[in-house]
Amino acid sequence: MRSISTEAKVGLFILIALIILGYMSFQVGEYGFGLKKGYIVTAVFDNVTGLERDAAVQIAGVEVGKVEKISLVDGKALVELRILPNVQVEKDATISIKTHGILGDKYVDIVPGETKGSYIAERGQFQNVEKQADIDKLLVELGNIAEDIRVVTGALRKVVGGDAGESNLSAIITNVKELTANLNSVVKANDRKFTVLVDNLTSASKQMEQTFASLSEITGKVNQGEGTLGQLVTNKGVFEKLDNTLASIQTITEKINTGEGTLGQLVTNKGVFEKMDNTLASIQTITDKINAGQGTIGKLVNDEETVTNLNSSLKSIDKSMVGINRFVSKADQFRTFLGYRGEYFFEKSDGKSYIDVTIQPKEDKFYILGLVSDPRGRRKTYDRITDGVTVRTEEWDRNGLLFNAQIGKRFNDLLLRGGLLESTGGFGVDFFAMRDNLKLTFEAFDFDLDRDPHMKVFGEYQILKHLYLTAGWDDFLNRDNDSLFAGFAIRFEDEDLKYLLTSAPIPK
Amino acid sequence: MIQLIDIHKSFKKQKVLDGLNLEIEDGKITVIIGRSGGGKSVLLKHIIGLIKPDSGQVIVDGDDIAAMNERQLNETRKKFGMLFQEAALFDSMNVEDNVAFPLREHTKKKEREILEIVKDRLQAVGLPGVEKKMPSELSGGMRKRVGLARAIALHPRIVLFDEPTTGLDPIMTEAIDKLIVDTQKMYNLTCIIISHDIKSALEMGDKVAMLYEGRIIEEGTPEKINNSENPILRQFLSGSLEGPISVI
Amino acid sequence: MNRLIQAIDRFGRSILWYVEEMGRISLFFISALSWLVRSPLKVRLVFKQMEFVGVKSIFVVVLTGTFTGMVMSLQGYYGFRLFSAESLVGSTVALGMTRELGPVLTALMVTARAGSAMAAELGTMKVTEQIDALYVMAANPIRHLIVPRVVASIAMVPALTIVSDFMGIMGGYFVGVKLLKINEGIFLKNIYKLVGLDDIYNGLIKAACFGLILSLVGCYKGFTTYGGAEGVGRATTEAVVIASISILISDYFLTALMF
Repeated sequence: MRSISTEAKVGLFILIALIILGYMSFQVGEYGFGLKKGYIVTAVFDNVTGLERDAAVQIAGVEVGKVEKISLVDGKALVELRILPNVQVEKDATISIKTHGILGDKYVDIVPGETKGSYIAERGQFQNVEKQADIDKLLVELGNIAEDIRVVTGALRKVVGGDAGESNLSAIITNVKELTANLNSVVKANDRKFTVLVDNLTSASKQMEQTFASLSEITGKVNQGEGTLGQLVTNKGVFEKLDNTLASIQTITEKINTGEGTLGQLVTNKGVFEKMDNTLASIQTITDKINAGQGTIGKLVNDEETVTNLNSSLKSIDKSMVGINRFVSKADQFRTFLGYRGEYFFEKSDGKSYIDVTIQPKEDKFYILGLVSDPRGRRKTYDRITDGVTVRTEEWDRNGLLFNAQIGKRFNDLLLRGGLLESTGGFGVDFFAMRDNLKLTFEAFDFDLDRDPHMKVFGEYQILKHLYLTAGWDDFLNRDNDSLFAGFAIRFEDEDLKYLLTSAPIPK
Repeated sequence: MIQLIDIHKSFKKQKVLDGLNLEIEDGKITVIIGRSGGGKSVLLKHIIGLIKPDSGQVIVDGDDIAAMNERQLNETRKKFGMLFQEAALFDSMNVEDNVAFPLREHTKKKEREILEIVKDRLQAVGLPGVEKKMPSELSGGMRKRVGLARAIALHPRIVLFDEPTTGLDPIMTEAIDKLIVDTQKMYNLTCIIISHDIKSALEMGDKVAMLYEGRIIEEGTPEKINNSENPILRQFLSGSLEGPISVI
Repeated sequence: MNRLIQAIDRFGRSILWYVEEMGRISLFFISALSWLVRSPLKVRLVFKQMEFVGVKSIFVVVLTGTFTGMVMSLQGYYGFRLFSAESLVGSTVALGMTRELGPVLTALMVTARAGSAMAAELGTMKVTEQIDALYVMAANPIRHLIVPRVVASIAMVPALTIVSDFMGIMGGYFVGVKLLKINEGIFLKNIYKLVGLDDIYNGLIKAACFGLILSLVGCYKGFTTYGGAEGVGRATTEAVVIASISILISDYFLTALMF
């Protein structure tokens, strides 16, 4: 058997690779395969934002199909769904678009209808389309509700808030208590009279009942024509007597009307009515007073002054907020950094420390103030004149601290600064790279005619948020003092100092 | 005619060739003897331009190899064939392809002709019928012979041999030596052989040169070498530990 | 103090060595390039190398690609499930494979398989004087040995990457859709939607660069081998290390350049 040639193997492999590449490119560029069985139903939505082709179609959470196609028809979205062949959807089923979770994918949800036996056919359309609960809309609604609640609580706060509000409230409660107590006592005071009144009424009605009973008896006898009355009816004298009786009844009722007798007294007794009247009147007065703005509640509800007071206090709060805002925004621009920097000099086996405050009123402007402890100390020169010759002597004050006071401005990646460097005039150039993680610095200071200026180059690299590593070559022009060094620096933004400084007037 | 004039060569700080002068005559066998690691291979590689001297000239047919560029060098190299120490057959090719390699590379011959030549060369080195074998299937001696077949495939005028008999048994050594002499006569070759096998050298060489400490300290006919009074040469010839060459 | 300086010195030297090595490899590349342009390609040799670098690496690339896709799918699923965004698993796998993992993993596998073999083969040729033999026969070894390998690698690593990409996505699909039951349509849809042609083609450009790197380093290391069998071993190790590092480093820059 001849083995396959190298060329054939390679060619075959490249061919396969190209076919796969073509396939992948085609898939990425075009619509791919999906399930092709099942039938199509359609639904028209106002908005199908986020719904993708091939998204799931679910009934009761069970996937029954996929979105086949989404197209625009008359400004609405026509969605074609491919439903599994063994799933039937009632004609009155409701269709809607839902989301898995808040950020999840959109899918089509179908709620089955009631009428069994009547199903949507191939290419049939859903009649019941539920509007999509648009997240945006929902958020707007929620916003409105929140706004309303805010207004209500705001008003409440205006009324209730503060000490005055609290005392007012308690006054209201006290008043209400008093009022009910008064009402109570009025009712109590008239209690006995009411009882008598009711008793009288009861007895009067009893008498009346007896009267009517005997009347009934009489009329019964009359009808039968028995006794006196029966005899009476046929008797002229009886009529006259009856007439007189009726007349006397009339008199009695008249007497009741005029307030005579117990019943009359009851009906006509002015005192009772007056008292009740008065009670009602006083209630009326209270509400009137409230309306007129008298009393605590009234004042609270009606008084113009309260409202203006409230308004003005709100205004003052507003003003102070503006002030705070200005303060805060100023403080925001304003940045302050505290830094410590330690350098170890290999040649001298000694260290040098820097402490500095960098104030950054603007993004590109810096003030640097600092102290430097140099093991060499501070140089002092003395001129002494001996025999007409000036002799300059230098001394290094080991205890002396050196000062840094510089002003700097940044241009893109370049920071130029100048001023006092280690208590002498000088300047520095910082070059920032790698998103400010790396700083390359050149400094020159201590310019002296007698010797070379002190020059220093170093790099500083940020390894942690506040921690920097540094290394460089110090005073490289002076052979007797030059040294390689390495060290670290800590630098952080100080928030407290920032507020302290921003409240003090600083020239901008 | 090949002339080596005042060749200096150092690797790092070690001096290997130190003002070497040598003349090699056409149509003769020149054997260069010397100690192992004494710079013989380096000398050979200078002749074919694999190594360029730090200073000095390597003149082949009047042209300085040391000053040539790649293209000129390749032209000159077509005059050469070389048999390497371990034959340096291409592992990935069978014997036939190995021997055919220079032919395919440098001639426009038809494949049939090439196979004919390969067969002829293998016949010449006494290895007919090994065409389809891979180098790893061959013994050391067979490999050297295939290497020789490849070296002479293009009919070169000059053939270089880098220790052709090292690592072979005495009979195979003899066979190879004879093969070299026969081939030289058959094709009238200029042969340059480096060897530390003094016996072989004296037998086959028309001229023998002794390389010691970067220079040729003695050269001439085998008789002259054999009768030389040079103590170094004497020690080398006798193979004794006593003498100016310190071994340890 | 001295020790510190020594440490710095060593560090500096190793960086310098790497830079020098880079420079030498670049020069090597230039000479290979010049030979590529100067003379016609040795088609047969190229095909032979293509078989070695490409065809014989298919199995290992299929394996790594598939399992990488599978594990990405699995890991992605657990992450995305927290946001109910499981459907993004497919596109994550596909993007990861086409942009990064396909080219890089393929290149690393080919480095381990073929790059090391190149170094070993050429190294052996070097120490057994086969390379010298080529020179002697006026056949430039760069043309015969290096150019075919470099050309084959540049062609084959992208081809293998295609296979790796595809198998990775298939593996991710298998785990995501078949095992974890992510909706198939959305899984695929998100792949189609989020993966662009650019992602695939840029990945292939990367792969070609990696092919160049690994073959150059492998050849260079082999070509400059010295010191017998031990030297061959050293050359092989160095080839794999340098090629792998260079692939990963250049990957960053290529990514920064392309995406």
